[in-house]
Amino acid sequence: MFQPLDPLLHSELRLAIMSLLISDLEAEFPYIKEQTGATAGNLSVQVDKLAAAGYIEVVKTFKGKRPCTICRITLKGQQAFEAYVEALKSYLQIGKP
Amino acid sequence: MEENNNMTAERSLAIITEQIERSRRAVSKSTGQSLYISGLCTMAMAVIVPIVNLLILPDGYATLGHLLWFTLPFIIVFIIRNLYKNREHAPVSLVGTLVGQTWKTFGVFGLGFFVLANGWNYILSSSTNDTMAIVAHHANLTPVIYLLMGMAVAITGHILNSRWLVWFGIIASLVIAVCDFACVGTMLLARFGAPLSIVSHSNSILPCVSVFVLAFFGLMLPGLLLKNQK
Repeated sequence: MFQPLDPLLHSELRLAIMSLLISDLEAEFPYIKEQTGATAGNLSVQVDKLAAAGYIEVVKTFKGKRPCTICRITLKGQQAFEAYVEALKSYLQIGKP
Repeated sequence: MEENNNMTAERSLAIITEQIERSRRAVSKSTGQSLYISGLCTMAMAVIVPIVNLLILPDGYATLGHLLWFTLPFIIVFIIRNLYKNREHAPVSLVGTLVGQTWKTFGVFGLGFFVLANGWNYILSSSTNDTMAIVAHHANLTPVIYLLMGMAVAITGHILNSRWLVWFGIIASLVIAVCDFACVGTMLLARFGAPLSIVSHSNSILPCVSVFVLAFFGLMLPGLLLKNQK
């Protein structure tokens, strides 16, 4: 009846990161921090978890002399996000009167 | 936002909706700022070029000011990079990239054709070959530039899902190109009693008026609307 929800995505901050990246080609770490309102440390931990699962790709580069971290969603991440939204639908439909 | 693994389905949906909406707003603002600055710079150049052309008119090089168009891409890039330094955190979006690439392509085609057409016209003017003078024609530069610009405006309209921008790009560029072929602007200047020096050199001034109109409606206005979108 209920489809299982991906535990990696079923977390406020990780879901917010994936939702931001799903509509952008790539985003810098400060932009994600600004949009989610998370602390740098917490965000860094969650980004690492998503990267370890292969849902996002993290590229560390330089912008001028300053270090710059760029995050991109991967194909695996897109598929996982789509599956999560599909699973979410089943919960929302059941909840309807 | 903290790590909370006990969310309801409604909360998950709210997070997805909120973040996608935030992303859309950031992309709109970033794309709008670029279009707005590009429009303002193009309009400013469309004012500067005829002034330069009028100032050098007595020397007989009334179209020399058009060479300033070559500096426009550099000016736009310089201003955007320096004016919106805080934009370095803006996301790279498909919409922004497509709009940027559309106008870069227009710039390459427009300036490329400008060089080729002027080069061809110069060769033709300085040629002493009679056959060439009979069969070859001077390249009419401005209608092609208007059509290319109109095409860029229309494609921008498609990308931004703005129907009025698509139709404006198509209709305005076609009307302006036809008017240019038919010398409507020159005839109107003569009809309303403009000085003969300006009427005879209208080809160095009128294209700037057309570019100004296309830049206002095709770049600046949609840029302003996107920039201020809530």
